[in-house]
Amino acid sequence: MKRIGVFVCHCGLNIAGSVAVARVVEAIKDYPGVVHAENYIYMCSDPGQDLVRKAIREKSLNGIVMANCSPFLHERTFRNVVASEGLNPYFCEIANIREHCSWPHAYDKEVATKKAIAIIKATVEKVRRNISLTPMVVPLTKRALVIGGGVAGMQAALDIANGGYEVLLVERSPTIGGHATQLSGTFPTLDRPPCLVAPKMAEVANHPNIKLYTYAEIEEVSGYVGNFTVKIKRKPSYIEDEKCDLCGLCLENCPATFPAEFDRGLSQRKALYLSPQAVPQKLVIDPRSCLHFNGDQCRACEEVCPAKAIDFLQQETIVEKKVGAIIVATGYDLFPRERIGEYAEDPDVIDGLQFERILSPSGPTGGEVRRPSDGKVPQEVVFIQCVGSRDPEHGVPYCSRVCCMYTAKQAVLYKRTVPQGQAYIFYMDIRSDAKGYEEFVQRAMEEDQVLYLRGRVSKVFRDGDKIKVWGVDTLSGKSIEISADLVILATAMVPSPGAKELARKLNIIFDQYGFLTEAHPKLRPVETLTSGIYLAGTAQWPRDLPDTVSSASGSASKILSLFSRKELLHEPTIASVDEEVCSGCGYCVSICAYRAIEIDTKRRVARVNEAVCEGCGACAATCPSGAMQHKNFTARQFFEMIDVATGAYV
Amino acid sequence: MGRNAILEVEDGNLLNTLNMLWRKLFEKKVIDALLIPQELPSGINVVQTLVGSPESLESPNPLAPVLPVNSARIVSQMTKVAPSPRRVGVVLRPCELRALIELVKLKQASLENLVLIGIDCFGTYSIKEYSKLAQEGSPPTEDFLKGVKEGREDSSLREACQTCEYPTPMNADLIIGLMGMDFEKSILLQASTPEGERILEALELKDSNETEVAKREEAISQLIAQRTKKRDELLEQTEREVFGLENLLKLFAPCINCRNCKTVCPLCYCKECFFDSPTFEMEAEKYLGWAEKRGTIKMPTDTLLFHLTRMNHMAISCVGCGMCQEACPNDIPVSNIFRLVGLRVQRIFDYVPGRSLEEELPLATFKEDELQEVG
Repeated sequence: MKRIGVFVCHCGLNIAGSVAVARVVEAIKDYPGVVHAENYIYMCSDPGQDLVRKAIREKSLNGIVMANCSPFLHERTFRNVVASEGLNPYFCEIANIREHCSWPHAYDKEVATKKAIAIIKATVEKVRRNISLTPMVVPLTKRALVIGGGVAGMQAALDIANGGYEVLLVERSPTIGGHATQLSGTFPTLDRPPCLVAPKMAEVANHPNIKLYTYAEIEEVSGYVGNFTVKIKRKPSYIEDEKCDLCGLCLENCPATFPAEFDRGLSQRKALYLSPQAVPQKLVIDPRSCLHFNGDQCRACEEVCPAKAIDFLQQETIVEKKVGAIIVATGYDLFPRERIGEYAEDPDVIDGLQFERILSPSGPTGGEVRRPSDGKVPQEVVFIQCVGSRDPEHGVPYCSRVCCMYTAKQAVLYKRTVPQGQAYIFYMDIRSDAKGYEEFVQRAMEEDQVLYLRGRVSKVFRDGDKIKVWGVDTLSGKSIEISADLVILATAMVPSPGAKELARKLNIIFDQYGFLTEAHPKLRPVETLTSGIYLAGTAQWPRDLPDTVSSASGSASKILSLFSRKELLHEPTIASVDEEVCSGCGYCVSICAYRAIEIDTKRRVARVNEAVCEGCGACAATCPSGAMQHKNFTARQFFEMIDVATGAYV
Repeated sequence: MGRNAILEVEDGNLLNTLNMLWRKLFEKKVIDALLIPQELPSGINVVQTLVGSPESLESPNPLAPVLPVNSARIVSQMTKVAPSPRRVGVVLRPCELRALIELVKLKQASLENLVLIGIDCFGTYSIKEYSKLAQEGSPPTEDFLKGVKEGREDSSLREACQTCEYPTPMNADLIIGLMGMDFEKSILLQASTPEGERILEALELKDSNETEVAKREEAISQLIAQRTKKRDELLEQTEREVFGLENLLKLFAPCINCRNCKTVCPLCYCKECFFDSPTFEMEAEKYLGWAEKRGTIKMPTDTLLFHLTRMNHMAISCVGCGMCQEACPNDIPVSNIFRLVGLRVQRIFDYVPGRSLEEELPLATFKEDELQEVG
């Protein structure tokens, strides 16, 4: 027979403000099985916890119902309290009378009180039938996989590697560094990214704990936290790295050219290429642009290579590795501007990243601001913010977060390069909410004379030598026409291509835009719902550099704390199969989001991989015969809870 | 569409001709055993039999207009634990075939080494009606086929059959095609799989001409149109009868919890029904508590919950064979209600139970872009 104690928390006035806690205690103290009930202002405080300990000792309690906030917040707290008194922690359950009761019924004390009583009684019914459980011990491979070699991936890899653990860093392009290497400067300090990013790239490349896989992709992921198996596909570079000494003869002789990705098409590269500042310094042949791979007999590079390093027959290879945790840092791309019809397809209407290249000393114009069409120094430059973002009809409804700041930065850098020029910025609102950001924008307006126009642009079109921009200044109410030399569109950040496919392989969730979804937006912002997999940087949401680095370090610290354990403990509140009853139909297998169930074909029953099961309960709800039951969430427990809750609540 | 062959009916006796066909399947080593309905010696009914040798084929009658059991259950019973090691011909009606396909998807049956022989179905009587007809005199099969030939509408057929829109076999290797045929003269044998083609090859039958195939097609579409119309009328009426909580309770009120519907349903495949599990074993105190709270509770309890749960489990795969309704001792229109709900659910997912083995069970698949407008 269970001897149950009920502890009702006031949560200050959060609960006591709408639930008559004393009445609740009165109503519950004589409920069958309840031998103790009391209320206290903050149960989670030390004196509150002591009340629970004292009652367990004095009344020999063996079932605890904590009536307070969501189990998300304090389930662990109180289970630890219960365990400290020698009780099985799974005899303690939370009755959520805050989020489920006092808050939604804040204006009806009567309803809130009655509902609180019903919730507590239902939880008493559950605890009455709880069984004692022990967490499972799972082995742990202390090696991390980081997917994506941009700033987020590099930071995460370095943090983990510096903590003493091995890291595999997989990057699909030939070099690490990501978009940050394309930037001309950073806001609000106007640092030159080479000073910021290049040292990190070198540190990653030379770190004894980091194994770099560039020009590689994730082929397959299986397993679970502590025990993932990943297959990494290394794409053929068609160059034998050990032989190549980067003499550059092949580059000189390659006849094929292709718009350079690094300069976003503003310059040309050869089919055989090596990005400036690439890490590692390894050439690749791009089969899309190489004549040899497109029906031609060309072997120009092979013919001139003194080291005989060219190998057109090179094949992709698969590397299989075990890792204990994964960070996904796949980064961003820009919203395709062709989807915004008002902004003409014109060489002098460019996106933000293209302008970064033009402003960059390593860019196609050597840092001089010259427009793409004729190389003229633009005297009138129009920046348009929110292109694609905050535009549910044509683009995406969300704010891209970084565009206000990088537009201000670009306008400032432009003005400093072309002091006599004029910069106009069309904006909706200016969002400059981080350290030093607002001051930076103010300086751009006041010191650098950037002209901010609050309003939208209706049309951008070519007019002879000029680009006409029609817009409106909503502050003065006047329509505006500018004859610009160059127009820069601050297009929205979107997830990088392939992120969804990768998410499917990893079995993690993405939102309607393709951004990867965190386990909880407030309390678990770097975890995914699949334990052992974490997020970093703009794969999750538009972010600037400081936010990206913070999130990467956040994920890395999660992994460091994971790896600091000897082995993993897994929650025992998971699914289990009654093999006598199971028909082996496999409904549970297909419904399991964690791929934790398989059919034992010999015995024709379902089998739960206990280390993978997250205890979501979908299988138990699906199983038609009730063979699949969730430990301490059995059908019987639910029936009893519903019965009591519906009977008492009016 | 595969190859069509003509089977000449000898002496105008279709049953004898088919009997010879079964024997030939044994002789030609197409099958080692045959699952086929045979008439009871008393003549008042037919039962499913598994026949191990051609000599034991005493009175096979797959044309008898009665469905004592949905044989998908029997095939499941035979092949669930392990597939058949020898080749078994199974003669099934369309609703039995469709249920079997669903059971295979649910891993409750295996088609390995089975030769699926589907038979065009004009409908069946209830067991009671059939044995009444058999006892009244002339053999019901002959009378029935005569009636079919004359185009007579038979209102004493089971309601499920009168409103069945799938009268021809899907997914059979070999189809015994009766529709549109003058079955005193000849019928069609249609091969719809490579296996079926091999059988036709072995039987050395001559190909049919296109007119006969067209005649069958024509007859099928006419019958489907007629039955679909009837179905819609029936389901409209059922919807009126069952709409709203009060009506629902009223319709299921006579339920005595015998679970016959569950026992005969080809798709109720659970080894142990959830409703027989300890989850529903309550203490007396519990019943008394309910009674005190509500004044009266209907005993046995949870009858409506049982039906709703079964509906929840069955709706997507319900083939509408109507066995549940046949088995109900209190004439609850279980099948009509299940079909009404089943059809709605199946339409949402564009799913036809038993249509194809490749179509995954909708409730067991996840598509990112489906059901955008729920609620």
